Amino acid sequence: MIESLRVLRSRIAGFLLRRRPEREFDQEIEEHLTLLAEENTRRGMTPADARLAARRSFGESTRFKETQRELRGLPRIDTFVADLRYAFRALAKNPGFTLVAVLTLAIGIGVNTTLFTAYNAIALKPLPVPDPNTVVRFERWFEHGMRGDIQYGFSYPEYEYLRDHGRAFKSLIAAGWPVPVSSASGRLAGQMVSGNYFQSLEVGAVLGRTFLPDEDGAPGAHPVIVLSHNFWKRRFNLDPRVLGQTLKLNDTVFTIVGVTPEEFTGTLSLERVPDFWAPFAMQAQLAPGLDWLHDLERQRLVILARLAGSTMVNRAQAEATVLMRQFASSHQEREKTVALTLQRVTYYGNTDDLKFQALVAALMLLVGLVLLIACANLANMLLARAASRQREIAVRLSLGAGRGRIIRQLLTESTLLALLGGAAGLLLSIWSAKLLWIQVQQMVFGSAGDIDTGVSLAPDSRVFLYTLAVSVLTGIAFGLSPALQFSRVDLTSAIKQEGATFGRRLSHSRLRSFLVTGQVAASMLLLVIAGLLLRGLVRSQDAQPGFQTRGVFVVSAAFGDNPAQAAALEKRVYERLSTLGELEGAAMGNIPMTGTWTPPILVNGTRSRTLASTASAGYLPLLGIPIVRGRNFTTIESDRGAPVAIVSANTARLLWPNQDPLGKRFTLDMDFTGKIMSEFEVVGVAADVRFANLSRLDPAHVYLTGQPRNFSQIVIRMPGDRERGLAAVRAAVAGVDRDLLQSLAMFSFEEGPLRIQRVLAQAYAMFAMILAALAVTLAGVGIYGVMSYLVSQRVKEIGVFMALGANSSDVLKSVIGQGLRPVAAGSLLGLVCAAGLSKVINATLIFPGSADFLYGLSWWDPVTFFGIAAFLALVAMVASAIPARRAVKVDPMVALRYE
Amino acid sequence: MATGDSKADILQGTLDLMVLQTLASMGRLHGYGIARRIEQVSEDAIALNQGTIYASLLRLQQRKWISAGWGVSDNNRKAKYYAITRAGQKQLETEARSWQRTVSVVGKVLALSGRSTKA
Repeated sequence: MIESLRVLRSRIAGFLLRRRPEREFDQEIEEHLTLLAEENTRRGMTPADARLAARRSFGESTRFKETQRELRGLPRIDTFVADLRYAFRALAKNPGFTLVAVLTLAIGIGVNTTLFTAYNAIALKPLPVPDPNTVVRFERWFEHGMRGDIQYGFSYPEYEYLRDHGRAFKSLIAAGWPVPVSSASGRLAGQMVSGNYFQSLEVGAVLGRTFLPDEDGAPGAHPVIVLSHNFWKRRFNLDPRVLGQTLKLNDTVFTIVGVTPEEFTGTLSLERVPDFWAPFAMQAQLAPGLDWLHDLERQRLVILARLAGSTMVNRAQAEATVLMRQFASSHQEREKTVALTLQRVTYYGNTDDLKFQALVAALMLLVGLVLLIACANLANMLLARAASRQREIAVRLSLGAGRGRIIRQLLTESTLLALLGGAAGLLLSIWSAKLLWIQVQQMVFGSAGDIDTGVSLAPDSRVFLYTLAVSVLTGIAFGLSPALQFSRVDLTSAIKQEGATFGRRLSHSRLRSFLVTGQVAASMLLLVIAGLLLRGLVRSQDAQPGFQTRGVFVVSAAFGDNPAQAAALEKRVYERLSTLGELEGAAMGNIPMTGTWTPPILVNGTRSRTLASTASAGYLPLLGIPIVRGRNFTTIESDRGAPVAIVSANTARLLWPNQDPLGKRFTLDMDFTGKIMSEFEVVGVAADVRFANLSRLDPAHVYLTGQPRNFSQIVIRMPGDRERGLAAVRAAVAGVDRDLLQSLAMFSFEEGPLRIQRVLAQAYAMFAMILAALAVTLAGVGIYGVMSYLVSQRVKEIGVFMALGANSSDVLKSVIGQGLRPVAAGSLLGLVCAAGLSKVINATLIFPGSADFLYGLSWWDPVTFFGIAAFLALVAMVASAIPARRAVKVDPMVALRYE
Repeated sequence: MATGDSKADILQGTLDLMVLQTLASMGRLHGYGIARRIEQVSEDAIALNQGTIYASLLRLQQRKWISAGWGVSDNNRKAKYYAITRAGQKQLETEARSWQRTVSVVGKVLALSGRSTKA
């Protein structure tokens, strides 16, 4: 043990000071030889003979020096450094090759890193607090399996119970969903938190302080707030004098006690950063008229816990589940919670969400294809390069280099290339992630300004590690096969450079064809997807919803949190608005394209799904949706919430083919659990429209009268003079309840939901087009590279053909034919894959709420498929034409002398 | 690691042992002197590629069993001299013992098989 340590130490020393011992050893050998020679002279030899004999009995001195060197230093590092130096020299010698290879990889790796950066920012980055691994978020699981954001909502009594009885947590934190609060300069978003919020998260204040424990004590006693950095900057211009200043929020004066650091963006998932935080004890002032602190139904707070160590999760989870069940048995709650899970807190709350995972997987697949194409290029280039270096390799092999040594050398080179590509790709991705983010913000919010969503796209160690791993894997995976092939050469023929001439098939040409085939197939797939989405985009821009959207506005306000009171107030506003002469009409119902409710529908025992929405008597006339059979709801029916329904024409055809739908009955499973089954009678049939989204006519849609689930909103139609209409609405709302003015909001349907639909189509098409453009560029470069290589390998052969009288068109045909065969195979494969994928996506359209990305285009759209095939063929032709022309221009005399 | 514990183990070990023994009995010597001495003692039964001695010397040096320093040879030239260290002495004793044990065991085994073939 000590011995081997000693050896290692001396080796490291030897490695570091390698020059001196080398020289000394030379001297030592010299001395030895001199002594030997002298001895020999004494025995009577001539000095020259003596010297020779000395050398003989000493042995091969270079070999001893080599052994000596290996023993002395760290041979692995030495060879690695030598390999690296050699690789650098080889790459520098051929800058064109290096540049193309690095750029190719930079694109492939860059695209992947960009996606990973986004994924990392959303799903992997921990909270911006110290020791984030010990912070967990509670997720509840309901008896009837309700999923979504409600799984993160808890009531204050639940929080108190867990806090007071839990032993496995260091501390338990509550953070409410943000509430809108009015101030002198408009609405602010405030978040109520438990008094220990900042302390337990270990977030300090950049200015002033955070909350003191007793400030979350007696209700209403401590009107203090902590500002977010973003709000401080936006409103107070980073003025340090805000400390101690007051803000009138709702009707209470609050004192600003501190400002959080810039990097602390809150603990909400995918929401904007709150403007300020206040203790829960101030709930009555911030959300007046409600009683969060005691109301069991108000499950509006997120519970976080700080654990003593990250290993405590299981214990804490088990304990919390038990406590939660105890709580449920002693309290009456809406829906029973069967389990609690604790999850590591990442930026995006619900990363287990299937939809989210499917989206990530699909995106990963697409960008993975681009990387694959880039890698195929790299492999091809390496093959070509190794082939042209066959002689060099053969010389090195015949000088005694081991095969392993050659392979290691070639791999070092390809890995170095991949690392360079990865570095360039990382730069590219930092830049493109920024650009993409600006683009997304512009599309979604209409501006890239002060909306602070707390997403940080700055690359962190995870991104670096990811890029490094991808690069190294790429370098090894795609450098290995050329390295293996070319280190196994027939020395004599390679040195004489007969390797690749005269119709003799190269052993590696199959691999090369395979690579081109795969590359073309992948870019074909991407191109077809992009093509289809592009066609969908074109159609989306002038797709019409089928109802009148001009002048349609949605009116909303904070009617209060008590469902019954809110509904009553909203109804009063609606009634006031419907009598308003300045408007062309008012109605209540669900807003198209803002979300779907698709309950199971039962007709004579057959179960299927339908889109369902509510509509008052004035709703269909307001939107100009014609009743094609039967009648509209009466006002009495819609007021009373009568069990009658109007179905869309498609629904009637689907459920009662060749029958009169009027008077037919159906049952809806209102909450998906079979607990609330409501029966409706069909009184009318409405024309088909695009309600769920802009992409297609809804396959099934029933309009109900508004009971029992009231998600209705007020819809109005403005006259030509919009300003006058808006003013009239404000006046009317003020007439009902002045307090509503604060939260009154009106948005145009055309500029809101309808525009988002078109923007979404643009976003998909843009994303697909970027990938497809990259793919086709890479594939073009790849095909060009392969063709060039083939031609250069066949120069001699072509020369002989030409000398024997073949004309240039024969040569062209033969060269292009050889080059394009794998292209044709790849195209076909790509087309089949694309058709398969398209069909799978198409199959999701059975579901009434899902969107049709192709806007009614057939999944097998001949224009796209044949168009893209033709386009790719053209690219392949151009890419192979240049090298092919070179082949035709071969001068037979030169070619035959080509050596 | 390639510390020399490979196939040629016994031979190498033997050479190391001989070098140690030579230094122990002769005191300070340079590489040539050690090589000559081993050849003389073995009465030229061992035809040494004299260069191999240097690998052995380096190995022993790395284990701190011998030390090396520059000095002046008999004919006034600079030469590198090697000497056994205290640790080397100890090592030599253990190695020598284990070598003798090996020899005696192998000898016994050979004698045994000789008898059995006769009988």
